[in-house]
Amino acid sequence: MSFVSTSTGSFFNRSLAQMAELRGQIERNRTQIATGQRLERGSDDPAAAAQLRGVARRGALAAVERENAARLGEDLGAASTEVEAVTALLQRARELAVQAANTPTGADGRQAIAFELEQLTEELFSRANAATLSGEPLFAGLSSDPAFVRDAAGNVTYAGTATSGAVPVAPGTAIERGLPGSEVFEFVSGGTPTSAFAVIGGLAAALSGGSPDPAGAALAALEGIDAALDTTNRAQTILGTRMAWVEQVQQQQADASVTLAERRSRVGDTDVAEAIARLQQSLTALEASQAAFARVSSLSLFDALR
Amino acid sequence: MPSAIFTIGRSGLTASRLSLELTAQNIANAANPDYSRRTLTQSELVMTGNIGIGASADSLGGIRPGVVVRAESALVQRQARDASSALSAAETEFFALREAESALETSGLFTGLVEFEAALTQLQGNPLEPALRISALESARELAGNFRVGNAALANARSLVQDEAAAEVLTINELAAELAEVNRDLVAAREGTAGRAALLDARDKALRGLAEQFGIATTINANGSADVTIEGAPSVALVTGGTVAGSLAVSVNPDGTLAFDLGGTAFAPSGGAMAGRAAALAEMAGLQTGIDSLAASVIAIANAAQGAGVDAAGNPGGPLFSGTGAADIDIALASAEGLATAPAGAPAGSRDTANLAALLAALGAETGPAAGADALLLGLSSRVSALDTRREGLGVVAASAEAELLRETGVDLDTEAANLVRLQQAFEANSRVIQVATELFDTLLGLR
Repeated sequence: MSFVSTSTGSFFNRSLAQMAELRGQIERNRTQIATGQRLERGSDDPAAAAQLRGVARRGALAAVERENAARLGEDLGAASTEVEAVTALLQRARELAVQAANTPTGADGRQAIAFELEQLTEELFSRANAATLSGEPLFAGLSSDPAFVRDAAGNVTYAGTATSGAVPVAPGTAIERGLPGSEVFEFVSGGTPTSAFAVIGGLAAALSGGSPDPAGAALAALEGIDAALDTTNRAQTILGTRMAWVEQVQQQQADASVTLAERRSRVGDTDVAEAIARLQQSLTALEASQAAFARVSSLSLFDALR
Repeated sequence: MPSAIFTIGRSGLTASRLSLELTAQNIANAANPDYSRRTLTQSELVMTGNIGIGASADSLGGIRPGVVVRAESALVQRQARDASSALSAAETEFFALREAESALETSGLFTGLVEFEAALTQLQGNPLEPALRISALESARELAGNFRVGNAALANARSLVQDEAAAEVLTINELAAELAEVNRDLVAAREGTAGRAALLDARDKALRGLAEQFGIATTINANGSADVTIEGAPSVALVTGGTVAGSLAVSVNPDGTLAFDLGGTAFAPSGGAMAGRAAALAEMAGLQTGIDSLAASVIAIANAAQGAGVDAAGNPGGPLFSGTGAADIDIALASAEGLATAPAGAPAGSRDTANLAALLAALGAETGPAAGADALLLGLSSRVSALDTRREGLGVVAASAEAELLRETGVDLDTEAANLVRLQQAFEANSRVIQVATELFDTLLGLR
C-alpha cells in the first residue's frame, strides 16, 4: 500500500514547532523593548558585543579623564591665581624700591620701606608654598613636601623637583600639572642665578641698615625685581595657555562623550519603533497560526462522518 | 455446492473484521511516536484441490487474511537517525557553550579590568590622595574576585555537562541491552505477526535513542535484527546480534574533557549528543586556559610594575596580586599606601606617576589583559553564534527528516477514518452475502 499522505503526527509536530518559534520571537522582542538592549548576550551579535565592550571601556576611561581634566583645571587655576598675586606683590616691591632709590627719604622712611618689604617677603614665601584644594603643594613639582624652605639664616631655597608630572586627560594627551617653583621664583639676574626671595629680602636688609648706600642698593635691586617680574609674567602666560588647553580638551571630551553615547545607542540599543512593529507582526502571525491550527486540526474525517 | 457461498461470506467477514481491528489499532496508536502504521495483506482463496476441466464457481473459496505488514523504510529511518544525531551534537554543544558564555559574561571579567584601569587612570590625577589609592586597591580586589567568580561559573558549567554525560551513559547501556534482547527475540518471532511488528517498533525506538547520543552505523539483518557500530575514531561495535560488545564508560580527564571507553577500547565519538558534549568540554578546557593565562598576565604585569617602583613612603613596592591563575588570584598588598606609583629612586612622597603610567600602558596594550579578555569573549560568542546558526539549519533538516519518516510510517487519521467506513461497509456486505446464502438454502429446502 503506497500513497502520499501527511501523517497526523507530522502535522501536529510541525504546527507546534512553528508556534513555538513565533512565541520565541515574541519573547525576544518583548525583552528587547523592556530592557532597551538589543543584545541579550554576546552571541546575539558577536561583532556588536565586541564594539559595545570597546565603547564601554572608552566610556569608563573618558569619565575618569573628564574628572582628571576638571581637577587639573582647578589646580592650574589655583596656581595662576597665586602667580597673579605674586606679580602684584612684585610690582609693589618695585614701587618701594623706586621710592627708596629716588626719594630723599630718611633713615626712618627707609626703615618703613624695609619693614614693608619684609612683610612682602613673608607673603611671597607663603604664596610660593600655596597648596591645591587637596592639600598638595602647587609649586613643588613632583614632591609632596613644601616647595620652598627657609634655613636658620633666613635663606630661602627650592626643595621641589625641576619638573612637575603630567596628567593624562585624553588618549595620548597628558598636560603638565603646573609649574615647578624653580621656574616661577628663580631666575638669572646680572649673570648670577638668584630668586625673588633673595632679591627682595636682600633689599630689605640693605634698607634697614645693612648697606652703606641704601639708595644705590635699591637702584641695583630694581634689575633683579624686573627679572622676577619677567619670570612671573612668563609663568602666568604658560599657566594661562595650559588652562586654555584644558578647556579645549574638556570641550573635546564633551563632544567625544556624545559621540560615544550615540555609538553605544546605535550598536546596542533597541530600535523601539522597529521592535514594536516586529512584535505586532509576530503576535498577528501567532494568532493567525493558532486560529488556523484550531480550524485545520478540527478538519478530521472523523468529525465529518456521523 | 451452495455451502461455498457460506465459506466465501465467512472468510470475507473474518478478513474485514481483522482489517477493522488493525485500523482500530492504528487509530489507538496515532499519537505513539514509536508506532509504525500496520496493514493487513489479503489474498484471494481459490480451491485448487478438485480435478476438473475449467474453473467453475465451485473452486472459489473467498479471501485469505494474510500477514500484518509494518510500514517501514530503512532509508528514511536512517536519514532521520543521522539527522537527529547531527542535531543533538550541535544542540548539546550550543547549550553547553552558551552556559559558558553566560558564566564569563556575567562574571564581569572585562568590566573588572576596565574599572581597574579607570581607577589607576584617576590615581594618575593625584597619586598621593588616599581616597584614590584605596579606590585603586579595591578595584584590584574586585578584579581578582571577578576572576574567581568567572572561574567558578565556568567550572560549574563544565560539571553540568560532565554530569549529564555520566547520566546518559546509563541510558545508552540500557538501550544497548534492550536492543540486544530485541535482536534475540526477533530471531524467534514469526514473520507477519503483530508480535514481530511490535518487536520491530522496539528495535527502531532503541536505535533512535542510541542515535541521539552517538553517531551510529546500523546494519539491518535479514531476520530484522540490527547491528550497531558507534562511529568515531576508531569506530567500535556496540551491539552485534544478540550480544552487547561491552559496557560503555565515560571518564573525565584532568583538564575536564571526556574520555570514552567501550569494553576496554578507548574511542572518540564523531556524532550525537556525546560528541557535542566532548566538543563543548574541549572548548571549555580552552576557555579555562584562556582565563587562567589572563589572570596570570594581570598578576605578572601588576607585580612587575610594583617591583619596578616605589610606594608613597619611598619603599620598593611589594606584589599587588598573589596566585597563579583565575582560581587563586587574590590581593597581596596589605594597604593602599603600598601602591608603587613612583619610579624606582623617587623620594618618599613623590608625586611622580611614571611607574603608574607604565603599569597602565602594559594593562591597556594591544596584547594586554583588557584586549585579551575582549578577544576571549569575542571568540566565545562568535563560536556560540555560529553554533546557533548551525543548530537552526540542522533543526530544519531533522524536522523534515522526521516529517518524511512520519509520512512513511506514521498514522494518518483521515486515511484510517476512510478505511473504517470502507471496512465497515465490507463487513456489512459480507454479512449480507451470508443472509443471501441462507435465503438460497431456505429456498432449496422449501422446494416441494
